[in-house]
Amino acid sequence: MKNKVLMGLAVIAMVAVLSSCGKKPQAEIDAANAAIEAAKTAEAAVYVPAEFAAVQDSLNAVMADITAKESKLFKNFKGETAKLANVLTLANTVAANAATKKEEVKAEAANLLTGIKAVIEENGKLIPKLPRGKEGAAVIEQIKADLATVDGSVVEAQGLFDKGSFMDALNKIKAAKEKADGLNAEVKEVLTKARIKF
Amino acid sequence: MRIKKIWKRVIIFIVILTLTFLAIVLLVRFIPQPPEEKVAYARIALSEATSNKADTYSKNLYREAKALYDSAMINWQEENKRFIYFRNYEKVAGFAELSARKAEQAAKISKNNVSDLNIYLKQKIDKLNDIIDQIDKRFTSYPLSAEVWKRISKGKMLLKESEVAYSKGQYAQAKVRVTDSELLLTESYEKATTHLKEYFNSYPDWKKWADRTIRESRQNLSYSIIIDKYSRKCLVYLGGIKKYEYHVELGKNWVGDKRVKGDKATPEGMYKIVKKFDSNKTKYHKALLIDYPNEKDKEEFKKEIARGTLPRSAKIGSLIEIHGDGGRGIDWTEGCIALTNSEMDVVFKIANEGTPVTIIGSMVNLDQLRD
Repeated sequence: MKNKVLMGLAVIAMVAVLSSCGKKPQAEIDAANAAIEAAKTAEAAVYVPAEFAAVQDSLNAVMADITAKESKLFKNFKGETAKLANVLTLANTVAANAATKKEEVKAEAANLLTGIKAVIEENGKLIPKLPRGKEGAAVIEQIKADLATVDGSVVEAQGLFDKGSFMDALNKIKAAKEKADGLNAEVKEVLTKARIKF
Repeated sequence: MRIKKIWKRVIIFIVILTLTFLAIVLLVRFIPQPPEEKVAYARIALSEATSNKADTYSKNLYREAKALYDSAMINWQEENKRFIYFRNYEKVAGFAELSARKAEQAAKISKNNVSDLNIYLKQKIDKLNDIIDQIDKRFTSYPLSAEVWKRISKGKMLLKESEVAYSKGQYAQAKVRVTDSELLLTESYEKATTHLKEYFNSYPDWKKWADRTIRESRQNLSYSIIIDKYSRKCLVYLGGIKKYEYHVELGKNWVGDKRVKGDKATPEGMYKIVKKFDSNKTKYHKALLIDYPNEKDKEEFKKEIARGTLPRSAKIGSLIEIHGDGGRGIDWTEGCIALTNSEMDVVFKIANEGTPVTIIGSMVNLDQLRD
């Protein structure tokens, strides 16, 4: 009788030990998910899309492993817990990289905006010097139309920049800057040909 | 007897052990197995689709694949909550298989779409740059309306933005911009071309006048001047052979014939020089006055008044000259023809009162102009 009791206690202890190993690492899962959310908030999908996709894929893989382990009779999540820690580190790195890239794009856009505004300001000073009374000439009409388009683009780009859409703003400003520089050269050429000092 | 008893116990123990082992094996054997490999395959297929940008270029299929994968995972987790022998992973396997298939399809379609889009964008960008070249070549000095220039300008800017996006591999963005650009540029180009075609309806007359002017120069072994307004050329002939060719500047509304005083148009027709003004008699270096309006111009002006296409108060223009002070790079005169001072010196020297000056829209027809 005594032996049977001891045997029963041993089985209960064994089950207790095995089940204590099999606890799903919920805290680590939550931490990894939160880190990925933070990377998403840092616009990692926009600024470092490949890295962001990779970290998301890693989490999906770990989650599949965890679910697979949950299907088993005896569970041990040690390996998955370690993998989740890696995902967490990776997600934090991705978020940091996204922030760095965003700052770089922001700085480039800001520089181009400053540059283009200077060119527009110069163009604004040059336009009144165009040959007086010749405002209707075809070439002047084109220059005026192009200047208005560049102005419009800069306003749109500034709006995007202010909204924090630095990547979209950068694309717009790059195109506008090229155009504004071309126009500046064109206006100067017209003034030179018309023998007007500028 | 005792040994026999021990053997009996050993055999019983071995039998119990074997039966227990077999029972465990059978119990484990009958635990339903989750479709781990299928789910892993689906996940890899999804990952491949993502790296092929299927989320952008095969959106619907990609979304379906993702939703199916999520369903597989949720179903799997739900099944895990049931008693181990009552679990059924058939649905999980089904979702995973379908997800993998859709993800593979999405990746393939996305790859094809990206490749097609790349070709499409390259062709469109090239085509639109050709249109811009044509516009620059044929209409830079053409008096199109401010509204048309605005549309052309916007179209050019959108094309530039499209090129920036294309160079970064952002094909979806590039496509949106190239489509908007195409609409603006082709429409403006067609409008301008229609206008030009209408203008060139007078080409048979221009050719007749030019041929006659050259023929007379050959027959009389004399100087004749032809002004080609479209190509901005002053062509000086001697004995029917072109001797000089200079660039000219005109009035801003140079397209079409001059109709009324102040319209800033340069007349078209066969004229003669009636007066020469040297430096102290003109503010434009030197000038050659032509006999505009001639009888034909006056008759046409009267007809327009009678038809009501011109108001009764309208006055016919006059004082059309070939003069100096040109070389400004724009059309700036009130309807006269401006040359640079050095070129004016040459023309002034060879021209006399009576020297023919024929002003036409173009020496070549529209097809030759396109080439």
